[in-house]
Formats: sequence, structure tokens, C-alpha cells
Amino acid sequence: MSRDLSVMMLSWEYPPRIIGGISPHIYYLSRSLARNGVKVYVVTCDFPGAAAHEVVDGVEVYRIDSYKNPSPDFATWVYLMNLNMQKEAAAIIRQLGGEVDVFHAHDWLVATAGIGLKHVFRKPFFATMHSTEIGRRNGIHFDYERMIHETEAWLTYEAWKVICCSDYMVHHVQWAFGLPADKLVMIPNGVNAEVYTKNEKENLAMFRSKYALPEEKIVLFVGRLVYEKGVHVLVNAAPKVLEKANAKFIIVGNGYMKDQLSTIVNATGIANKVMFTGFVDDETLWKLQKCADVSVVPSLFEPFGIVALEAMAAKSPVVVSDTGGLSEIVNHDVDGVKVYAGNPDSLAWGINRVLTDQTYANALRTNAYRKVQEKYNWDKSAQQTKTMYESVLAEYSKSFWAKKTQ
Amino acid sequence: MQVVIFSWEYPPRIVGQLATYVKNLAVHLVKNQTKTCVITYDDYVTGEYDEPEGIVTVRVTNPVHTHIGVLTWVLTLNQEVERAAANMYYSTDKQVDIIDAQDWHFIPAAVTLKKGLGIPFIYSVESLEDHRSHGANSPFNMAIKSIEWLGLYEAERVLVKSAWMRDETSRLYKVPLEKVRVVSSRSSKLAEEVLENYRTVLGKSK
Repeated sequence: MSRDLSVMMLSWEYPPRIIGGISPHIYYLSRSLARNGVKVYVVTCDFPGAAAHEVVDGVEVYRIDSYKNPSPDFATWVYLMNLNMQKEAAAIIRQLGGEVDVFHAHDWLVATAGIGLKHVFRKPFFATMHSTEIGRRNGIHFDYERMIHETEAWLTYEAWKVICCSDYMVHHVQWAFGLPADKLVMIPNGVNAEVYTKNEKENLAMFRSKYALPEEKIVLFVGRLVYEKGVHVLVNAAPKVLEKANAKFIIVGNGYMKDQLSTIVNATGIANKVMFTGFVDDETLWKLQKCADVSVVPSLFEPFGIVALEAMAAKSPVVVSDTGGLSEIVNHDVDGVKVYAGNPDSLAWGINRVLTDQTYANALRTNAYRKVQEKYNWDKSAQQTKTMYESVLAEYSKSFWAKKTQ
Repeated sequence: MQVVIFSWEYPPRIVGQLATYVKNLAVHLVKNQTKTCVITYDDYVTGEYDEPEGIVTVRVTNPVHTHIGVLTWVLTLNQEVERAAANMYYSTDKQVDIIDAQDWHFIPAAVTLKKGLGIPFIYSVESLEDHRSHGANSPFNMAIKSIEWLGLYEAERVLVKSAWMRDETSRLYKVPLEKVRVVSSRSSKLAEEVLENYRTVLGKSK
């Protein structure tokens, strides 16, 4: 192959369209692949004010008409949007003279577009499963959910390799769809540590004083205020933490549990020690993470847990629930503290351990930062992804598909 | 000439009038020395591949069994139609000349194959959503109408079965009348008339 390896990524979100974690994932993965000599075409949904075609950090981004008539329901919209995505992607590939080597789809949201393109152009097809319907809904209860579940199963069936971001998700996806073990590939998410190191010398004392008194330690929670994130466990642990340490609890994010959480805080008489900030902008969030004396991720269910990685990159010690992807990210007593999920006593113990022993906290910071640099960087994830593309292309070159399409 | 016909109904699976019409058309196309392939939905009794009376018949099933409506069923079946059509295309050394999409169901596949592989298509209209749903405009009807619109817009030519329907495509979707041709399903020279339209399209696209 004289030209670079080329991949077409399909995703329903890409910045500035940000709905969940897939958008930053595609952004960083594509950018890092481009830096590693892979030609990347991202085909994604349109967004007000964003260009229909542009080059972002070396990545060709195409934004397609995402079907804007009213839809009967979300799933039907997804399939209608896929119709548009598929025809536009087909036109782009034809324009490029067929110079796309592999297709890579992210979640069932682009399943039908990806599957169709695979067969029309007969190229290797990859699917990353960021989440599953059976996991999101804690079971399959209705036809609507079953339809999505079966679409996910079809996507994993058609894919040459199925990629997951944690060992936990590998096992979950293997169980959910009955896949052979050798079809699954674990490639971790990365975290962009540059955003925390770019202003390393900056004095954050002024910034910090807006949130806590100088003698108060900052305990930071970042996430949606919903049940599965376990923020209520943290609020229930707070009085126990305060028995042994002078701390301020900063809770960043919004969600349906906010009122309930405020009620608990007021009832326990610690309103002066807990601050709800709501959503904050990126710059504020990064500074808060750098100021935090401990970052807490008390989730009850967590496929990956990128917020723990961000804290580690910001050199804040972490206390996490021993569950899902978090169990893999943190090595207890080495680069963080693991506590029992859903247990306020255990969580309070973990937080106090960090807050009352500065030497211990500093060791966690150092080890965690090193781990993030070595294991969870996008450059490394991109190299693993590229290697996976190359080894599949080598297998593919011996198939009758490769010969027929020449 | 190699033609591939898409139809969601085909004997022995007969839902309405379209199945019998498509079968009759395919039989006569073969008699007129046209290589004919029909891609349709499996009825669970026929198997997936057959060549009765010289008609290559490929039947696909929907990998997604559970559905919440005909729309999701259609939109997920299209990828299997694309797979079958692409198999035909690559196994004949890319010698598929034209696709004849019967009704709206497999328009998404026809459009993708046109854009991706450059295979022109004809949209043969059996009926339109506006008539079927008596002018209803719920999101469900609008979605089907948007697929019909896409087919009418992207097709090289539109075949209808009556002058009334030609006027209706023009009234409802503003299709230029010169793009629409009337071929009566009762014509004694059905295959010849349809073939004439295929040839015109191919002459134009070459």
C-alpha cells in the first residue's frame, strides 16, 4: 500500500455536538490516529453552526443531515438518520475513488449505516461498544429495548473485531451477545493530561478561595447527579468524614437527585460544608480537579470511569468504588483507594485515609500520574487501534472479498 | 442486460397486488433475454436462494427480529438487501446494469448502491403513502413520505401504472412529468415497455 492506511469512523456525535462520552472519544482517537499516520474520515451528525466538511487536527470531518423531521421515537430517528449517513458516506467514498480501507462504527447508533457500507464496499468492519442496552436498562423488558439489543447483537456479529474500553466491558459484551473471546479487543480510553499541565505554574490560591477556606480540604465529586453515580453515598458519608477532618465537599454536575441531596445535606446540618456548583465550564473544572485534595468516584455502576482518570491526570488522589471499570483503573493503596460500592462508612474511611496522611496522599498522586501517562494515553490507544486495523487487513487480504473487489 | 429488482413481496409470499405483478414482470424479462435477479423478503418456507424459470431469486431475512413498527422493520432490512445486491454485483464482475425498486421499502438500499457503486435505479411506484394513509401527517407517515421523496428525487426515472398516478407524483412531490413514465400493469407488452425504459436510462447514464 503506497498511500496511508485509511479509516472511516461513523459516530452520531463529534464536537461541537456533545451528548455523551462518544464525542470526546472519537475526537481524541481520530486525532491521535492521524498523528500516527492514519488517514481518518469522520462521518457524523450535523450541528448548528458547524461546517458540513472541515479538517480538524488532520482529521477529515463530514457532517450529514441527521433527519430533522419529527420522528415517532428515538430508535426510529436513529434508523432514519442512519439512512442519510449511509448514503452520504457512500457518496464520499465514491468521490475518494474507494480509498477507504476499513470502517469503524461506534455503538448501535450507527449500526445500520456501518453494516450496509461494509457489504457495499466489502471492507473490514470494526465496532466499538461503549455501552449496551441491557446494561443501561439493567435488563431487557420491552420490545423497544429488545429491538435495540438485537441491533447491537447484529452489529457485533457483523464486526470483524469488537472493541471495548475496559476488561469489565469485554466480559459484559461477551456475555450479552455470546461472542467468541477472540473477537473482542480491549483498548482503554485515554485521558488528555495536557489540559492539566499546560498552566502548571499558575497560582490557584485565589481560585481556590472561591470554593473553600484555606484550612478546609477539598473533596471533589464530578458527575451527573443520578442514582448510579452514587453521589448520595458521598453525601451520607460526609458527616463521618467531618468527624476526623476539616473538609469542603464540592459537587459538580446536575441531575434529578439534586433536591433530594440538598435535603439530606440540610437535615444533617452540614450545609456550610457542601457546595453544589451545577455544570461548570472546562477551565473551571480543570482548575477544581487540580485543587482537589481528594477526588471521589462513588459510582454504583460504571462501564469505564473516565472521571477517575481525569483526576489522576490532574494529580488529585482518588477514592473510587470497587466496581466496573473503576476496579481496573485503580490499584488499591498504590495509585488510589478502593472502597465498597454503596457503603458510606467504607467511603468515609477511604476519604479520611487520604485526607489525614499527606505522605500517603502524595504517593498516590505520583503513582497515579505515572500510570495515566503510561497506560491511559490516547497516543498509545491509537497505536493499538492502528495495529489492530493492520493485522485484520493482513487477514482480509487473503479473503475472497479482497480479491473480488480489486 | 442484468437487472436487479427489489420488492418486499414476491410469490409465494403475497401481501397485495405487487407480488404477482413483479413475478409476471420477472418472467417476461427473462423471456426477453434479460438476466433478472429478484431480491425480496424471505417467507420462511422458500430458502434463501432459488432460480425458478431462470429468475435468480434471493430472499433475505431481518437480523433484528423484534420491532416496534413497519418502519424500523424496513430500515433494518435494507442492509440485508444491500448485502444481497452487492453479492450480485461482485459475483458478476460488477455487471449489474440497473436496479428496479418496487415501491418505497428498499429505496434506502437503492440510493446507497447508486451513490456508492454507481448503479442507476428506477423507482416503480405501486402506491403512495399519502393515498394509503389518507393524507395523515404523523411523524410515522412523514418518515415514509420522506423515503418516497428521496426515491423520486434520486431515481433516474419513475414508472407508474396509470396516468392518474403520474399526475399524483407531480402533485404530491413535484416530480417533473418528463421523469415519470406510465406502464400499465395490464399491458400485453409489459416487459418490452419496461425494458425500453431501462435502456433509455442506461443510454443516458453512459
